[in-house]
Amino acid sequence: MSTNDEMDRITGYVLGTMEADARDAFEAEMLRDAGLRARVDRLAGQMSALDDTALPEAVPEGLWAQIETRLGATPQLGRVTPFPPAAARRRGGFVGRQAALMAASLIVAAAVGYFAGGQGTGLGPRDPVVIAVLVNEADGSPGAIVEAFGDDSVNIVSLENFVVPEGKVLEVWTLPDADTGPVSLGQLPQAQRATLSGPNLPLPDAGQLYEITLEDAPASPTGRPTGPILVKGFARVPVL
Amino acid sequence: MLDRTADEANAWMARVAKGDRQALEMLFRSEAPRMMAVSRRIVRRTDLAEEVVQESFVTAWQRAAQFDPERGNARAWLTTIVRNRSLNMLRDGARVDHHDGETLEALGDRVGDAHDAYDRLPDRDALKACLSRLDETKRRSILLCYVVGMSHGEVAAKLDAPLGTVKAWIRRGMSALQECMA
Repeated sequence: MSTNDEMDRITGYVLGTMEADARDAFEAEMLRDAGLRARVDRLAGQMSALDDTALPEAVPEGLWAQIETRLGATPQLGRVTPFPPAAARRRGGFVGRQAALMAASLIVAAAVGYFAGGQGTGLGPRDPVVIAVLVNEADGSPGAIVEAFGDDSVNIVSLENFVVPEGKVLEVWTLPDADTGPVSLGQLPQAQRATLSGPNLPLPDAGQLYEITLEDAPASPTGRPTGPILVKGFARVPVL
Repeated sequence: MLDRTADEANAWMARVAKGDRQALEMLFRSEAPRMMAVSRRIVRRTDLAEEVVQESFVTAWQRAAQFDPERGNARAWLTTIVRNRSLNMLRDGARVDHHDGETLEALGDRVGDAHDAYDRLPDRDALKACLSRLDETKRRSILLCYVVGMSHGEVAAKLDAPLGTVKAWIRRGMSALQECMA
């Protein structure tokens, strides 16, 4: 069943009047709610006859070549494996507006849950100094969370299932300052949760850059990022 | 004929998900002319539509594994990507509005394009029949949003009606449309 509010959001999404931010959240919600997805697809399918009225236009000769050039630097992503909201796991599914609200705050909630669970003690020496949400620059979607501690270690939570081809690794980097340049914090064989010990560096600071690149295994040959950047983000100091 | 093209597009997407660039090129050759046209109705300029199509095919490559043939065909999936990217570009006024001092209105007839899309719908199409049953104000509002990507505010200005009224037209119009097509 769709409520009036849901109907408004479905028509806003399909007609294109929804704001970009709301559209991103709505798409995340669709990934988790097959019923909603079916209702959206149904309306989109009905309206699509209007797209078919557009008279095909000439495509400039060089356009495919430009696209092809970019493919080498664009790793393919895997299937989305969404974190189910904790409440859904406990109750075995729920519906309605609450699901929407949960989905909107899902990534934050999942991250907080993980960190709280992982550290166990709450406030204490294992509180992160900074946290960075790393996003895919192409579409702004969050791909990983980095939690950096005072002892040079970092926790990584992957939110996107990056495809790591044979012979490649994911490498995590930070930029403590421009003079030092990018420093490797370690490698991961695949998208996963992990703790990396990291080299001896100054305490991480707000605004510090973190990124994940795709490198030849076992690690970047130059000690600097050489492969495509999958996700990047700037650290913030958590409110504790 | 249409179904065969749709099946072909789905088969190409399955190959793209395995890293097959040739399959993406086949999809490009087949779909890009239509994507250009859908985008240009929204962004108005050929150069911007080219940029949208380029970004959309790179995204399709990147996200190929997320395409689910159970949900519909690859052409519909690509169209959604193109429409959303076009809308983002349109709403990013810095990109569209201020080029050489041109305004959107100077870049062709948005109202005319929206109306042409309606005129060109095949008479046997349920959408045509159901749109034709709506009041003209509701029909125009819906077409201006969907076909050329106008916001509620732009429709209100174009039809010289209060924003709340336009929103109500669209809500009631879409509700009637879906009932009619059910």
